[in-house]
Amino acid sequence: MKGLTFFDAGCVIGDTMQGPGPDARKLLQEMDRAGVEKALVVHAGVATMPQLSNEMIANEVATAPDRLVGAWCLLPQQCPEIPPPDQLFDIMRSKGIAALTLNPTEHRYVACRLTLGHFMDAAAERKVPVLLDCFDNLWPELYAFVAEFPKNTFIFRSRWGKWGIDRQIRPLLENYVGFHFALSGYWVPEGIRDLVELYGADRLLYASGFPVFNHGNQMLQLKHSGLEPEDIAKIAGGNMERILKEAE
Amino acid sequence: MTTTSFWEEKGSLANAFWTNGIVPDCPVYDMHGHMGAHNAIYFKRCEPADVVAHLKRCGVKHLVFSHHHVLFGNMRNEKVVDICRAFPEHLRMYVGINPHYPDRIREDLARFEQWRPWAVGLKFLCDYYQVPVTAPELAYALDFANERGIPILNHTWGGSKYDGGPLMLEVAQKYPNVKFFMGHSIYRDTEYSRRVVTETAGNVWLELTAIPGDYGYIERLVKDVGSERILFGTDMPWFDEFQGIGGVLSAEITDDDKRNILYRNVERLLGKEW
Ligand SMILES: [Zn+2]
Repeated sequence: MKGLTFFDAGCVIGDTMQGPGPDARKLLQEMDRAGVEKALVVHAGVATMPQLSNEMIANEVATAPDRLVGAWCLLPQQCPEIPPPDQLFDIMRSKGIAALTLNPTEHRYVACRLTLGHFMDAAAERKVPVLLDCFDNLWPELYAFVAEFPKNTFIFRSRWGKWGIDRQIRPLLENYVGFHFALSGYWVPEGIRDLVELYGADRLLYASGFPVFNHGNQMLQLKHSGLEPEDIAKIAGGNMERILKEAE
Repeated sequence: MTTTSFWEEKGSLANAFWTNGIVPDCPVYDMHGHMGAHNAIYFKRCEPADVVAHLKRCGVKHLVFSHHHVLFGNMRNEKVVDICRAFPEHLRMYVGINPHYPDRIREDLARFEQWRPWAVGLKFLCDYYQVPVTAPELAYALDFANERGIPILNHTWGGSKYDGGPLMLEVAQKYPNVKFFMGHSIYRDTEYSRRVVTETAGNVWLELTAIPGDYGYIERLVKDVGSERILFGTDMPWFDEFQGIGGVLSAEITDDDKRNILYRNVERLLGKEW
């Protein structure tokens, strides 16, 4: 889009056991329609097939490496299903994977220093963002995880929510500089501007939530949020570009 | 990326909203709002002056609301009339009907005519009261609305045993003069969101609160019942007006469809000045 670059910090593609989902081609078609330049994509099958979904998301982003980056799912370090940290990040980079994700509920483990410490410390050192949407509605677990890894770069996104979650999100934005809030489903009237006034414009990220949500609704909300153009540009895409650059 | 987005298509409604925010020849009526604090959420803007400021900056001509404290608390509807009087340009109200207070229903409806033009219709919230919309506790209000052709905004939700699809179809057939606004469009029950329109006597409209933004949902409703049967709403102060408008503009429907949803259907129902 002329004059404003959107980078979608939260969308999902791929099939699950419940049925087919959009692929990269369909996502790009929707992004083109709405004027969204780039996207960070997670595979829909992470919950039921973490190892395979890592392979599949790499294949999807390879179809449009200049526009899509992927996220890989972590599993506990004691069970060697994921390459160790000294290899993992090089492999990720070679495959267009720029972030990490996790799903301790579906993968039946406790997400903490004992299980993920090596990965999380290595990610913190490299400033590789870790996606926390698995903790949506699991607020005590989210708070505990972030507290245990205060140096990491995090991106939290509510997967389903439409009701404003200020009571849950604000304490995290207030206390952890590496905590970023991706805005899909955050529909609070003028809430984006309120969050910027409290915590600055660097911690918020435009995210579509596709395919649950469409790309356009939050674009208009952000465009007319009442923020300064440079803050709008940061939230639309500048912050996500910065996070990925810092990770490089 | 070389394609032109729908926001940038010259002459389109989406482009007008994208560029200007407010589009004078496309007013917006928000037919589903609230007012006041709520237990489940932090609202910075839920008092009348703040709500009206938000409506103004988004170009919303009228918000028709029911007060949270009437629906969930002990506030009486007459206090809400005072709020509307204080903001006559923007605010209109639904008279909140709580089936657990039958005396209040009769008292308030006896005053309905004197509360016009502030009072536009009634508000039912059956899911929360756990009283089916077909229950005898609501018959007095339904008869009242049926005799006068008054709108009732119903909270509706797919699968609910209080205001789900089959019950809403039954009640809309039984009271053909009531103008039923199906709040949330019987969310996720696309069979009944279609049937409540196609199997009734032209007295049902689907209301969009919580839907604009859902991928493909508005397209589906327009295909099933036509855009002439769909009203815009946001649950304000729950959802941002620009987010909701953005959700309608993002749908793959025609600009005529979008205008129907944002204002034309309401003006056909209630006129241009109300
Ligand atoms: Zn409501």
